[in-house]
Amino acid sequence: MKKQSNLQFAKALYQVTKDLPKDKLPEVIRQFFVILQKYNKLKKIDYIVEEFERYSKKQSGIKTIEIETVVKLDGKIKNKIEKVFGEDSEITEKINKEMLGGIKIKVDDTVYDASLKTQLNKLKQFLQA
Amino acid sequence: MSTNNIVEEIRKNISLFQKETEKEETGKVIEVGDGIARLSGLSKCQASEMLEFGSGEETTYGLALNLEEETVGCVLLGEYRHIKEGDTVKRTNRILSVPVGDELVGRVVNPLGQAIDGGKEIKTGKFAPIEKIAPGVMTREPVSQPLQTGIKAIDALIPVGRGQRELIIGDRQTGKTAVAIDAIINQKGKDIICVYVAVGQKESKVARIVAKLKEAGAMEYTIVVVAGASQPAAMSYIAPYSGVAMAEYFMDKGKDVLCVYDDLTKQAWAYREISLLLRRPPGREAYPGDVFYLHSRLLERSCRRNKESGGGSITALPIIETQAGDISAYIPTNVISITDGQIFLETDLFYKGIRPALNVGVSVSRVGGAAQIKPMKKVAGKLKLAMAQFREMEAFAQFSSDLDAETKNQIDLGQRLAEVLKQPQYEPVSVSQQVAVIYAVSNGFASSVAVKDMKEWEVGLHAFLEKSKGSLLEKIEAGEWDEKIEKELKEACGQYKK
Repeated sequence: MKKQSNLQFAKALYQVTKDLPKDKLPEVIRQFFVILQKYNKLKKIDYIVEEFERYSKKQSGIKTIEIETVVKLDGKIKNKIEKVFGEDSEITEKINKEMLGGIKIKVDDTVYDASLKTQLNKLKQFLQA
Repeated sequence: MSTNNIVEEIRKNISLFQKETEKEETGKVIEVGDGIARLSGLSKCQASEMLEFGSGEETTYGLALNLEEETVGCVLLGEYRHIKEGDTVKRTNRILSVPVGDELVGRVVNPLGQAIDGGKEIKTGKFAPIEKIAPGVMTREPVSQPLQTGIKAIDALIPVGRGQRELIIGDRQTGKTAVAIDAIINQKGKDIICVYVAVGQKESKVARIVAKLKEAGAMEYTIVVVAGASQPAAMSYIAPYSGVAMAEYFMDKGKDVLCVYDDLTKQAWAYREISLLLRRPPGREAYPGDVFYLHSRLLERSCRRNKESGGGSITALPIIETQAGDISAYIPTNVISITDGQIFLETDLFYKGIRPALNVGVSVSRVGGAAQIKPMKKVAGKLKLAMAQFREMEAFAQFSSDLDAETKNQIDLGQRLAEVLKQPQYEPVSVSQQVAVIYAVSNGFASSVAVKDMKEWEVGLHAFLEKSKGSLLEKIEAGEWDEKIEKELKEACGQYKK
């Protein structure tokens, strides 16, 4: 049989727990762990949880936004970003001194790179050509 | 130019630059190892797109080969020890391409077109995708011009035309590479660009070949593409395609190109390795199902294009190594069926001292005959017949005293012809000299020379003709042949005999 991927377990868990009443949840989770053990996947639990989070967010239309800047952002800019990419989003912030300036926004799998470092690199390529 | 002018120009250039937010699509590494990686995300990834791992100094490129429902399988083109599970992968939106252009000529490059000869960085400004659909029927024309390899046995008996694909096949250590290298050396001054693709070869062997090409002055028109034995299998897999992409640039300019793939067996091995690691189902000898297509799509790209499509040609000399002379193994039969003939080299002949160790009986050229020049066609016809008769009677040669005169004559002639077809490595012979020597021997001008003295006799003949019959050789070289020229050649041979 083909090896089961972490994502497949995450998807299965999502489908089972989607419309489940709260009191049944512990039993389902217990069963899930039994299955994980059967497939020798217990040590991959971190990755499965990660995949589950990503998958469930995707299913319910929540976007993960990661913002990278050099200095800490104030609330105004953050609100604007939220408005552009949708209200239901989960924002994490990261300080990265290496990018010199500007901003880098990652929405799910797409990165919008407006950092000074990338711009300078592009300018370099442009002048060299 | 004053400082102000320079500053002004820089300002102008900078003002032309458009600031743009870069939009990138990224994915994550699920697993990595053995030169391949499996990635998640990258839902819009194209087939054979380049993917970027890491950044800065440690950038490694990958080639997307398997596009599956949830994952992308890719091979890594270079160092992969710095790649970890969970790393970010970027799409480049570029199909794997190599730099092409005149700057590459005379250089030794890896399959990505980067210099590995210690010379300066190659900047051509032009890129071509390594995978391209071969020219179609309407843009082709039949092979009509010869490609002289400078090897007597090949040019006379199994001629190669421009645009032909002639397989060189044989066991290890039978002189396959030597034939190809001689063919490259012989293109000097003929306005032909050569591409030598070394796949999975020992670096020492490649170094020796490059040194030899330099010594012979052949690097001036040659590109060497090297995927060494120590490099990842992916490099060996793409090397022939990079080579032909570089060759196509010159063909598009109407030039003739000679492409040597040394050797395709190792490319098939590399592809098998990649396919098995990517979990593609194995077939016969564990090769994947599309191993035939691997070679056919490569060799179909060699062609002779007609005038309306810009002319130009790519001649391919693929090399295949057999195990114990078994030409009916999987890969050899595949490639034999794709090519327009094969040059079969044998271990036995090699150790008998017949070098090039050509088996004239099994070797064929399906289209090259049409490309032979007229004088060669005339003398080769006689040679073929004499050699065929000789092979039949060779076994009787030992009882020479008991044979009738005619048989004895045929054996004597055959022995001398076989002797004259031997040729040392790196000493290509021009076509006019080939015609002269084959004509002389097959018409009995050497019958009084002992077989062991044939070599000396041949050298003497070349020197004599060059000195006193230069204009005759020139005419033959140009492809002229009539009774007058034949008579002149006959007289010249007679004079030399005295």
